[in-house]
Amino acid sequence: MSQSGPQVADSPATGTPSRASSPTPPDPTAPSGFARVRGLIGGGGPAVALVVLIAFFSIATPNFFSVSNASSLLSQLSILLVISIGLTFVILLGSLDLSVEGVMASSSLVFVLLAANDRNDLSLGFVALIAGVLTGSLFGLLNGVLHVYLKVPSFMVTLGTGAIGVGLATVLFGGRAPRLMDDGLRGLGFGNVGIFPKLALIAILVLIVALLVQKFTRVGRYGYAIGGDEPVVRLSGVNVERYKVLSFVLAGTGSGIAGVMAAMQLGVGDVSIGAGFQFTAITAVVLGGTALVGGIGGVGKTLVGAAIITVLANGLILLGVNPYVQISVQGLVIVVAVVATGWSLRKRVRAIK
Amino acid sequence: MNTFGSLPRWGKRAAGVATIMAVAIGLGACSSAADDNKPAASGDKSDVLLVQGIRSLSNSYHANWAAGGDLFGESVGKKVIVLSDEADSQKQLSLVKGLAAKGQVYALNIDPNTSSDTEAIVRTVTEAGGYVVTQWNKPDDLNPWDIGDHWVAHIGFDGTGIGKDVSQTLFDSMGGEGGIIALQGILDNKPAKQRFAGLQEALKANPGITLLDDQTANWSRTEALSVTQTLLAKHGDKVKGVWAANDEMALGALEALKAAGLAGKVPIIGFDAVPQALDEIKSGTNKYVATVSTDPWWQGGAALSLAYKAATGEIDVSKLSHDQRAFYAEQSIVTKDNVEKYTKAPTLEALKPDLDDPFKRFSAAIN
Repeated sequence: MSQSGPQVADSPATGTPSRASSPTPPDPTAPSGFARVRGLIGGGGPAVALVVLIAFFSIATPNFFSVSNASSLLSQLSILLVISIGLTFVILLGSLDLSVEGVMASSSLVFVLLAANDRNDLSLGFVALIAGVLTGSLFGLLNGVLHVYLKVPSFMVTLGTGAIGVGLATVLFGGRAPRLMDDGLRGLGFGNVGIFPKLALIAILVLIVALLVQKFTRVGRYGYAIGGDEPVVRLSGVNVERYKVLSFVLAGTGSGIAGVMAAMQLGVGDVSIGAGFQFTAITAVVLGGTALVGGIGGVGKTLVGAAIITVLANGLILLGVNPYVQISVQGLVIVVAVVATGWSLRKRVRAIK
Repeated sequence: MNTFGSLPRWGKRAAGVATIMAVAIGLGACSSAADDNKPAASGDKSDVLLVQGIRSLSNSYHANWAAGGDLFGESVGKKVIVLSDEADSQKQLSLVKGLAAKGQVYALNIDPNTSSDTEAIVRTVTEAGGYVVTQWNKPDDLNPWDIGDHWVAHIGFDGTGIGKDVSQTLFDSMGGEGGIIALQGILDNKPAKQRFAGLQEALKANPGITLLDDQTANWSRTEALSVTQTLLAKHGDKVKGVWAANDEMALGALEALKAAGLAGKVPIIGFDAVPQALDEIKSGTNKYVATVSTDPWWQGGAALSLAYKAATGEIDVSKLSHDQRAFYAEQSIVTKDNVEKYTKAPTLEALKPDLDDPFKRFSAAIN
């Protein structure tokens, strides 16, 4: 799709890749601040949808636009955002990572069992935290290597490794959720700084790092090109395998961080700690405007997608929508948003995989 | 997307279909292979094999269930075989089929993974000449007498009655007035519906209590935390109590209360008696006032005893009433006063009356 070579990812003004019809290199003049933001989070549908939802819920419910709800919104957004950011790198390749829940389970348990806990006498402090995150990275590495070098479809590989993650977590779990007793570690993710939940601060940090990776590193930039047209990138001498594996490592790391964050929030390591996050995260990525076929999208757009889902779930509860109907309303809004978002892309995305 | 990279577009699709078919054929081959284990039941009623069918020894509930079965085994001087299926319905069925190969009459006490697994399991047992008691899951329109005497009985637990009682415990701890929020399980799950119906009955009897909101958190601790956060933002300090349809969700809600500085001020109840909930009830600092226990030791011991008595002929299944063959068993409310009883296994002596009379905790007929 993107014929202008691996260097050109997003043209800043439209938030979509340069077309074959415009062979000129991207405009070298620096975009204005507003255009820069638009380029980052995507100009059209999703951002508008988010603003509309926020406006609607602010008018329709008395509590939506309150400090306490803002704080709960931010903390609900945090974990989903971190997972979705990681997934974005893989979906940009046109691949999928279905191991999120298994990886979160394992990383949460590795973290809690190495930190001070009520199961064993270990108390490794920060080492536990790093081990928890690295557990995720290792799963990502495994995913990437199996997918890229053994040439197994990514959704099959990651379904399998996800099951391994759940299995490993079940063994570590040993019948009851081990509790995190290290108050210092837990304090990193539990509670607020002012009105800002600490989890949200972690998520913002992850977002900034991910934006930098996407913009300034090879794995970030080649990701677009590989997702756009892998054979061309390969022909131009890029070590495609390496960057694909690295993208999976990024995704695994995201799930690993999310597992640790969830453990900090709940105060336990748990096999089901990531339950429900897998498809919500994929939805967030796609809703934001990253195409499942690869090559189009970005981390900033994912922020919008994750925010839409979080606002919707929160707003529908505040609105008092019957829980039996809620899930359908959520589904409906998502379908409408995706169709609206994808409308301008219909012709370009020829195949839906 | 690039797995079948060098193939033309239709070739990719064909290769994908071929992969799916290969997997399907593989699965089919597995199940037909299991069918070859033809039953070889011998009729020796004095040498009955004792078998438990549980999900996994790695969860405390089923571990306690197995321990209850071992107590019964001890009482008749036999070892108990434990089949653990790790929540895999196919594996559960093939494990049960494998029992025929032992060539002994067996008594099986099993927790079918889902309602739709129950019929295949009880038919397998019937063919092999074993005797089975099922618990928790069966299709509503299928009863033991439809299949025959080898499906001895089905034991369920009615969430409505106990749900009403435990809700009352919550209301009492609130002084009989104020608003509560309710966290429901997966909405079409039977226990979720029954437990919520119990809450609604209790609400009718307590006009001072208002249900501010009910939302589903799908049995999940993580979801319960975020739903509770939202509900606290919505209702603020009107929330004087939290009702959750299981302990996992109650524990998630507790973390939300902690984050809001409300832990220990707002009482909570749950169901299922998971270990952490029992710890909370024991300590009392966070006002986790009650949970409900089905008593897994009883489930493992008494139901296995029922299957065994049918297998040895001590109980004539054809003479049991329909009420006895599909019944709800009693459950108990666990509070600070009796929590010790539910944190460790009973002695054989304490469980003996229930082993001798498996119907001792009969509470109501299912039909």
